[in-house]
Amino acid sequence: MAKLWAIIKREYVERVRSKWFVIATLFGPIFFSAIIIVPAWLSSRSKATSDIYNTTILDATGNGFGHRLAVNIAGDTTVPGRLPEVRVVAPSMLTRAESTATHEVMDKEKTGYVVVDQQTIAGESARYAGRNATSIADMAQIKSAIRETILASRLEKVGLDNSRMKEITFIPLDFSTERITEKGRAGSGIASVMFGFAIGFLLYASIVIYGQTIMSGVLEEKTTRVAEVVMSSVPTDTLLAGKVLGVGAVGLTQQIIWIVTTYVLLQLRAPIMAKFGAPAMSFTLPDISLGAGLIFLLFFLFGFIFYSSLFAAVGSSVNSESEARQAASPLMIMIISTAVFIQPVLLNPTGTTARVLSLVPFSSPIIMPIRMAVIGIPPLELAASLGFLAIGCIAALWLASRIYRVGLLMYGKRPSIREMARWVSYSR
Amino acid sequence: MTEYAIDIVNVTKRYAEHTAVRDLTLRVPTGSVYGLLGPNGAGKTTTIRMILNIIAPDSGTIHIFGRPSSDPKVTERMGYLPEERGLYRKMQVKRVLKFLAELKGVKGSEAERRIDDWLERLSLKTPEKDWGLSKVDELSRGMQQKVQFIGTLLHDPDLVILDEPFSGLDPINAQALKDTVVELKKRGKTVIFSTHLMDNAERLCDSVCIIARGEKVLDGTVTGVKEEHGQRNIALALEGDGMKGIASILSDHSLVKRADDSNRFFEIELVPGGDPQTLLRRVVESGASVQRFEMIQPSLHEIFLKKVGAAGIEEGMTGHG
Repeated sequence: MAKLWAIIKREYVERVRSKWFVIATLFGPIFFSAIIIVPAWLSSRSKATSDIYNTTILDATGNGFGHRLAVNIAGDTTVPGRLPEVRVVAPSMLTRAESTATHEVMDKEKTGYVVVDQQTIAGESARYAGRNATSIADMAQIKSAIRETILASRLEKVGLDNSRMKEITFIPLDFSTERITEKGRAGSGIASVMFGFAIGFLLYASIVIYGQTIMSGVLEEKTTRVAEVVMSSVPTDTLLAGKVLGVGAVGLTQQIIWIVTTYVLLQLRAPIMAKFGAPAMSFTLPDISLGAGLIFLLFFLFGFIFYSSLFAAVGSSVNSESEARQAASPLMIMIISTAVFIQPVLLNPTGTTARVLSLVPFSSPIIMPIRMAVIGIPPLELAASLGFLAIGCIAALWLASRIYRVGLLMYGKRPSIREMARWVSYSR
Repeated sequence: MTEYAIDIVNVTKRYAEHTAVRDLTLRVPTGSVYGLLGPNGAGKTTTIRMILNIIAPDSGTIHIFGRPSSDPKVTERMGYLPEERGLYRKMQVKRVLKFLAELKGVKGSEAERRIDDWLERLSLKTPEKDWGLSKVDELSRGMQQKVQFIGTLLHDPDLVILDEPFSGLDPINAQALKDTVVELKKRGKTVIFSTHLMDNAERLCDSVCIIARGEKVLDGTVTGVKEEHGQRNIALALEGDGMKGIASILSDHSLVKRADDSNRFFEIELVPGGDPQTLLRRVVESGASVQRFEMIQPSLHEIFLKKVGAAGIEEGMTGHG
């Protein structure tokens, strides 16, 4: 036991002290905050920016359409600086006025300009030119302001008075979205998918990163012959267990730091997002119970043991980093093909693909937690998934330990699959 | 203390392609320096790994100090230096050593004390510079070898196993290693090392075992082996170019079996029952002026060549070195 502890301690301490660990641990929260803040920021960009208030209206209608449009673009005229400037121009002078306005935009005095004329009143056409012409939200708002103004003019013609007109055309619609699952309402749909994606990415990244860490660690011990010295002191199974547990603990430490700091950042998101110029959006984290948290942890641990023991076996069977990369490709294909399914599973978490992938040991440690994040999973399905994964783990450990103890002592050419199969049958 | 540090009885280890060790029986007396000699691929490393319980024999038994080699108590009494050497490159020297000591059951504070002792002894720790605080890959190759050697001995093992310890050592470290082996023996420790360099074995070992193709060729004390398997040869050197004058004597197959020109002297093997005095008399009678006439024992190298044969050389045997 003391020896197992010595191995775990070495793996843990040496890795946690490395620069690489510190950098990756700092990068995590930045990445996860970015996942949360960037979409919020983008969605705030999809609301119209304040740029549209700095628009010039070139009014060639001759009936005050421009001033009404200005009021409609501003929305709330009590806020100072919102009312776009209106220039009433004669139709013959329009070309010159446009050229002046273009220069103003080029000199960045103005964002852009709208041209309204008789055809606009007829509801046929209007023109906009400006720096924000590609902003869908800005254009949508200007377009709807023009429509409102046209509508108002028409209503006025029919004989509706000004106050009634406002009443009819003013529709301050706030369109909010919410997702419903088998369990009922589940908070913001986007948040849930984001959360599922974050979980999937976290599990995928740690399995790839720490699996390869173990692989190159085993390879280093083999090529430097440290492995032989260690094996003369402890049984190979102890060495393998110590490595998997030690590196697993490093991964867990990193994830705990990631989760805690991301949580703190989320709590502080309002001031952070204000700095990005985004309004604090309502963001309900999906409710994670302690039980669900423990199940997440189990999936992480089992998934980690499954893959890292196989990575260790690969590391023990080869003699160089380049050989290791080649030999690890079947494992990498297993993981990457699972990662490819993250998005389809998020889109259809109850589909057959999702259900099958969450039963197969090589994909279940990533797919099942993702599904858990977005939908409620029947306990039976959860138990079956964990059960198969546990069996997969035992099989992987058995296989790995047998390849490992032979592979570590075999130098020279890379073994074929047949040779490795024979190693498994060796006594010791 | 038991009589034998290592007691191997009828051990066989097979792999799919070949038998690495075949029916090997070997006894290493406690407190001796023992050489395991043989060409590359003879089964030396496999034998050592079985002694260390890294691999298990297919049949036969191995006892270390009277206990089965799988007994965990036994592993803590053994120190091992593998053939090709390396350490965790990115790790601090002291922490590597502490880790190796902990694997052998040495407690932390005791390990630290011993590490400082050893670092000072092998001048890796001087008032100017403590290499123990450096990372392994900052050390020169020679220094890394010293560190690894410390790692082998930190837990003060009773049985020290060195696999090809002299390969790749610079002359200074090789001398330090020899001194340490002698010192270990004086302290009653048992040292077993494998080598294909017969000179080292001849100088250091009390007993040897020669193996080839997985089988024992011969074993025993160095003196015993020489008496049993060697002939008594004669070194003969004459003044000037007197050698020509005795050519007829050397080619007389009723007296001389073989004469080997070693440049500065002839190494002469007499036919069985041949009398050295007869040879000396005939040489003097031929009028040659004798500079050296000496009864010499055959070297281990010669015995090895005779026993293992040319096939052994082809498999990687090197002579002196």
